[in-house]
Amino acid sequence: MNNEHDPVLGARGLRKTYLSGTQRLEVLRGVDLDVAAGESVSIRGESGSGKSTLLNLLSGLDAPEAGTLAWSGAAARADRRARFLGMVFQSFYLIPELDALQNVLMAARMIRRPGAAEKKRAGELLARVGLAERATHLPAQLSGGERQRVAVARALMNAPQLLLADEPTGNLDEHTGDAVIEMLLALCRETGTALVLVTHNAAYAKMTHRALVLHEGVLR
Amino acid sequence: MPWYFYLALKQLFPSGRRFPFFTFMSVVGVALGVMVLVVVQSVMSGFGFEIRRMIVESEGEIQIKAQTAIADSAALVQRLEQVEGVAGATPYTGGTLMVMYHDKPTFPLMRGLDLDSVGRVTRLDHYVTVGSLDALDDDSVILSSGLQESLGVPVGSTVDVYSPLILERMGRDEYVLPRSVKVVGILEFNHQQLDSSTVYCSLRLAQDLYGLGSLVHGINVRLKPGYREDDVVAKINTILPPGVQAFSWMDSFSDFLWVLNLEKGMMFFLLLIIVIVAAFSVMSSLLISVVRKTREIGLLGALGGRSRHVALCFCAQGFFIGVCGTIVGLAGGWGLLVVRNDVVHWIARTIQREDELRRFYQFSDLPQHTTTGEIVQIVVFTIVISTLAGLLPAWRAAKLKPAEALRSE
Repeated sequence: MNNEHDPVLGARGLRKTYLSGTQRLEVLRGVDLDVAAGESVSIRGESGSGKSTLLNLLSGLDAPEAGTLAWSGAAARADRRARFLGMVFQSFYLIPELDALQNVLMAARMIRRPGAAEKKRAGELLARVGLAERATHLPAQLSGGERQRVAVARALMNAPQLLLADEPTGNLDEHTGDAVIEMLLALCRETGTALVLVTHNAAYAKMTHRALVLHEGVLR
Repeated sequence: MPWYFYLALKQLFPSGRRFPFFTFMSVVGVALGVMVLVVVQSVMSGFGFEIRRMIVESEGEIQIKAQTAIADSAALVQRLEQVEGVAGATPYTGGTLMVMYHDKPTFPLMRGLDLDSVGRVTRLDHYVTVGSLDALDDDSVILSSGLQESLGVPVGSTVDVYSPLILERMGRDEYVLPRSVKVVGILEFNHQQLDSSTVYCSLRLAQDLYGLGSLVHGINVRLKPGYREDDVVAKINTILPPGVQAFSWMDSFSDFLWVLNLEKGMMFFLLLIIVIVAAFSVMSSLLISVVRKTREIGLLGALGGRSRHVALCFCAQGFFIGVCGTIVGLAGGWGLLVVRNDVVHWIARTIQREDELRRFYQFSDLPQHTTTGEIVQIVVFTIVISTLAGLLPAWRAAKLKPAEALRSE
């Protein structure tokens, strides 16, 4: 049973090992992480330090070899994912056959057939990320920054409690990246959504409430 | 609409100006198979239907045959017409004759018709192209078109007719004259076999030529609409004297119908291969799509999609291609059936083979008869095969782990 004092995200002792040929790579060696409602946390680390692996475990897309994961105090389950969390990736991952509005609505479709209220919210989110005029444009007709903004709108469509962002500026130029991060943080503040931001950029990390570093499989 | 059906439709028919080439080619492949199936099945059924119509219109639905001959046919006809479902009955006599015109002999089949009752059972009068059935009397005959053509006898001329009885007497050195009869008409069914060599004459003339007295060889029976042949045959057999038995037209032509149905079934399964080949092409395209969209499949997992729903998304694409291909194929098939005779005659004219077409394929026009059952069979087979084509790609897509799929290059 979850209550309002439970952290939005509660990870205890998460461990993950990969096999590389005959060698065992212990990528995560007991990661503990609590994220409170509305809190933003950044995770930095060197390439290959396991940041994306950790994010996959936190999102429930991958299973840890040891440790526990709770979303708002209850066990993380795949059937809760669509309502509980939103994700933003470095490569945007928009569906090329759908226009911007349909891409945003896709998150709502995972739960139910979108009605007028969902369509209105999707339109408002696109307006909020500055793409009201481009709602009917296909991803191929949008710039990289615009695509990432559509992806942010999609991640927030179901009003999730937690947003996981995996290097969302990795494919963007510095100026566009700054704009996207500022927009992401502002939206999370406005909606009270907790944010876990994986980034290489120290400046972006400073903009969050808490900056953590993943080093040798442990968060510090 | 659940997201997996929505996305399946969007992947097949994307928004915007993008032409769905993969969808177009897949639908065309399935449509071609359906079109060929519809045309061939309809034409094959048309052959069967035409043959049934000609048999029923020339001999009725039920034939009563005797081991030797039937005596007192008038009384039996009366009794038959009392049986529930019987619209009319007419006695006949059949056999072989030798017909001579200008010293040219032919050996056609003879059909002796009771002119008073034949109209209640058959529709021979509809097929008399020159002259009239009413002109037939005990000293005249009507020839089938093929026989008239091969003898070269004009209507109004006289031909000499020899029955086996006459020939037997001649063999005993008796001096017997042939029966001279006038040709008063030509009968044509537009079926090569039926039109090739038959003489139609009155029942009395046939009985006279065969020395039958008042005996007949059989009785043809016409049914009222809505009655099944087998039911009425069973009722008729209860009132027939020993040595006489009723057969439905299907029983009488059972071997022929069996061959016809076998041909039709074989054609169906052979042509179904076209749909199966198209389905393999659909499967191959969907498999490529799964590989190409690996990261999208990972995204669907990240958005909260279940593996089984991802599988349904790809399976549904096979289903939708099957449905679209079937609709286009049915429309194309019907269109082709409408112009089939124009196409066949144009080809025959172009290669100058119209006569051969008629001689070898029995009919001057391609018949067609489309039944709901056959269309349902084609639709069900096609959609099931197309949906099955989506199973392997669906299974591959469902097996992908979202985290690994998102990482894939």
